[in-house]
Amino acid sequence: MRKVVKKTLRYAASFLLIVTLNFALPRLMPGDPVKNLIGEDVYVSEAVMEELRIEMGLNRPLYEQFTAYIGDLLMFDLGYSYHLHSPVAEVLRERIGWTLLFVGVSVLLGAALGTLLGAYAGWKPETKANRLLCYGFITLSCTPPYFLALLCLHIFAFKLGLFPFKGFYDVPTLGSVMHHMFLPVTVMALFSASRNFLIMRGSVIQEKGQLYALYARAKGLYDISILFRHVIKNASLPIITLLALDFGFLFSGALFTEIVFSLNGMGTLIYDAIMGKDYPVLQGAFLVIALTVLLANMLADLLYAIADPRVRRPT
Amino acid sequence: MGGLFKKQSGPSMLFKKSRRKTQNRGRQKMKKIKHFIRSKLKSKLKRQMTLSIIILILCSNILLAGAAGPKDSGENLTPSEGGIFDRIIAYIKSLLGEGELQDSAATSGAEASEVQQSAAEGAALKIATPNVIKSASFIGDSNLGIFAHLSNPPLMKMDSEGHIVGQLAESYDVLENNTCWTFYLRDDLYWSDGEPVTPEDIEFSIRYYGKEAPWANWINDTLESSTVSEADNSVTFKFNKPYTRINLEFATYNILPAHVWKTIEKPMEYINEGPYVGCGPYYLKQIDLKAGKLVFEKNPYWEGKIPEFGNVEIHFYSNVDVATLTLEKGAANTYYKYAGSYPYPNIEQLEKTGNFNFLEKTNLGLIFLAPNLKKAPISDLEFREALSYAINYEEIVRLETLGYGEVPNRGFVPPSMEAFKETEKLEYNPEKARKILEKAGYSDSNENGILEGKDGKDIKLEILIRPEYARTGELLKEYLEQVGLAADLRTADADTWVTLKDNYEYDLTVTRSTPWGMLMHASWGSGYFDSRRTGQGVMHNLDDPEFLQLCDDILSTTDPEELQGYAYELQDYYAENLPAIPLYWDNVVTPFNRQFEGWYADPLYGIYNLDNFVNVKKASA
Repeated sequence: MRKVVKKTLRYAASFLLIVTLNFALPRLMPGDPVKNLIGEDVYVSEAVMEELRIEMGLNRPLYEQFTAYIGDLLMFDLGYSYHLHSPVAEVLRERIGWTLLFVGVSVLLGAALGTLLGAYAGWKPETKANRLLCYGFITLSCTPPYFLALLCLHIFAFKLGLFPFKGFYDVPTLGSVMHHMFLPVTVMALFSASRNFLIMRGSVIQEKGQLYALYARAKGLYDISILFRHVIKNASLPIITLLALDFGFLFSGALFTEIVFSLNGMGTLIYDAIMGKDYPVLQGAFLVIALTVLLANMLADLLYAIADPRVRRPT
Repeated sequence: MGGLFKKQSGPSMLFKKSRRKTQNRGRQKMKKIKHFIRSKLKSKLKRQMTLSIIILILCSNILLAGAAGPKDSGENLTPSEGGIFDRIIAYIKSLLGEGELQDSAATSGAEASEVQQSAAEGAALKIATPNVIKSASFIGDSNLGIFAHLSNPPLMKMDSEGHIVGQLAESYDVLENNTCWTFYLRDDLYWSDGEPVTPEDIEFSIRYYGKEAPWANWINDTLESSTVSEADNSVTFKFNKPYTRINLEFATYNILPAHVWKTIEKPMEYINEGPYVGCGPYYLKQIDLKAGKLVFEKNPYWEGKIPEFGNVEIHFYSNVDVATLTLEKGAANTYYKYAGSYPYPNIEQLEKTGNFNFLEKTNLGLIFLAPNLKKAPISDLEFREALSYAINYEEIVRLETLGYGEVPNRGFVPPSMEAFKETEKLEYNPEKARKILEKAGYSDSNENGILEGKDGKDIKLEILIRPEYARTGELLKEYLEQVGLAADLRTADADTWVTLKDNYEYDLTVTRSTPWGMLMHASWGSGYFDSRRTGQGVMHNLDDPEFLQLCDDILSTTDPEELQGYAYELQDYYAENLPAIPLYWDNVVTPFNRQFEGWYADPLYGIYNLDNFVNVKKASA
């Protein structure tokens, strides 16, 4: 019970720190949101600029802006985007759905593929096929996702004409969405799989030399059973951590893939907000990412307890 | 039977049994080992053989595919001309059953012809653009504002020569010391819902922008009154001070249907994916941000020249390279980027497809070196004069524009601008630069290779650049060092650049002017230098009374002859005083389908003008 309270307090403190950082970080960036909003070649008088500043609440002292931000947050109001002319919550809701669709699927696929192949490659690292697989995944993990995305687009969309160049769909139908999502999801899944593969492989190589694996073999268990009933359980602990971290990446790390495939996701939203000094969007997006990472970490704690009895056993 | 077994279970029998068992086990083990080695070897051998056969088949097929490609497509390419990559692609295509094995270029060509064919049949004119629409806010999104010129054309427009002429307006009058502007409307204009376009719509739109859009707030501040006349189908705007560039300003404001928009209280916040009522040859049917496209459909009430295309689609791409690939593939008919060209490095590749022609026009904007006129030694005209001779313009043009540009004149203004005056061309002459510096009193008395300023200290110039001008900055540093001037490059992101520039914390900086930027204020680039102005991209570094007077003179007249005279004076001023040193004039290159003709580019919006959409037609064979 004490442990739960301790953990809850730790998460609450993290959340408060996150909220403060969310407010401070965008404001620490150089640049004036009002000038940015007006644009490069447009002349407006200082009076108009001041009016805009008042309208956006940027004329108030920082502590007042902070208390207003916290107040709005308590009312579940994430503010209003300067550039997108919409409530931030609405913008986020729309973008998160589509981002979850393509990054979420990629992360899950990548986790499944990377874990299974990595486990097998770690179990029999000496076979040619596994060595080849290992080289392949090392190459993939060293390849910048931007380059991989462009390469796939060049081959499969431009040269072979199998897939479209951009967008989530052409017409909003399931078929069109799947057709459009295939390439970006594949690229992201491959990238994610490569990281999981390498970690899982290393982990399995380490675990299979443990005494419990030897004991299982001595009991007469088949290789497959030893790997999937005993070794994989222990070897997957680092993967759980990686997956928890990937949830942050889920919303922000797909920027390059989004740019290559012209997808209106969270990555481009954050990038544009940084370029445009759109404080409310940045605050909202960072908050969502931070909350997701917190949640993912909580889940990871739970999964750890399920996967490893040493964690749930009181010391 | 059970007893029999019992009888035989004596010690000797047990020993025999165990010996037999051991022998059997040993034999079985040996058998197993032999079988294991054999099977392992066999499977290894089998696997290797299978792999070798597969690789052999694959290679032969790829080679055959590569060889068959050009033959089948009727191209003159020999197999050796296609790389292994293309051969693999051709092979995969054949596996996927995409018909005949074809060379990739030929495939692109075929697809391009398909698009062209469909376009000619009144289908869609597809434009690829890197100008991404971020929000479905008709008034709030700046890129959407440009594309909406097609559905909601502004009152005026710029023709190919850079003159401001009527678009929705047939003509206009300027009276009362340039304070009173009357625009006479065409009488054949109808909104896409069947309502006629009235002077009230014009009056409403202009006032609406003034009230609702921050960038048009000047209208609110200066517009005293406005009246409409049903009799001569006109609208009159009376300003509280002389305004001479209203015709130009009104070439940028999209006209809105009053009967639709008057009910919308906060237009900047009005998000709608369409359709929007328009009065151009097309109306905006749909804004689909998730599909990355805008769809314009024919205005059924349009009474002007009937356009050939059934609809117009604007496809926006976050990555410019992907946008160019769609053209090469034939998935788009043309390319548009506001104030920008088709990427120079990709032109050759597009030319190879044989499906595109190119429209080339000198950009109204340019790249220039802005000196900080408030700081020595840059404030010294002779020093700037020497700087202008220290720069190797031809090399910059060659590297930055790949030949699609030219060495600029001292008069700053590019030839595509109205009232352009031919001034002296900038020249690279480091020897002359050194002599001018020496004559002006900048010498290297301590012989350390760096000239000293008038304060006796080594001159070390700080060149402030944004990342996009990194190469130009490096070149400039090298040129300055060649004439004995030390230089430091300071790279800053766009926002830091604005802050440093506004605080005059630089010696030299590389920046650009946009087409609208060249036209703003008193035009001819004056808006960038006038110290009385502010703005993200402007230098506001010139407070010379002669220059300020010239700006005011331009701003107080609408007489074309007078304007031309002032424009010439302004260009002479630039040439003599070098408040900025232009680095190169670049060309805007726009590719378009060879099968269509009638394209032209205006200096302000390039090919994105209403005339192109009604005039472009299938080229006669």
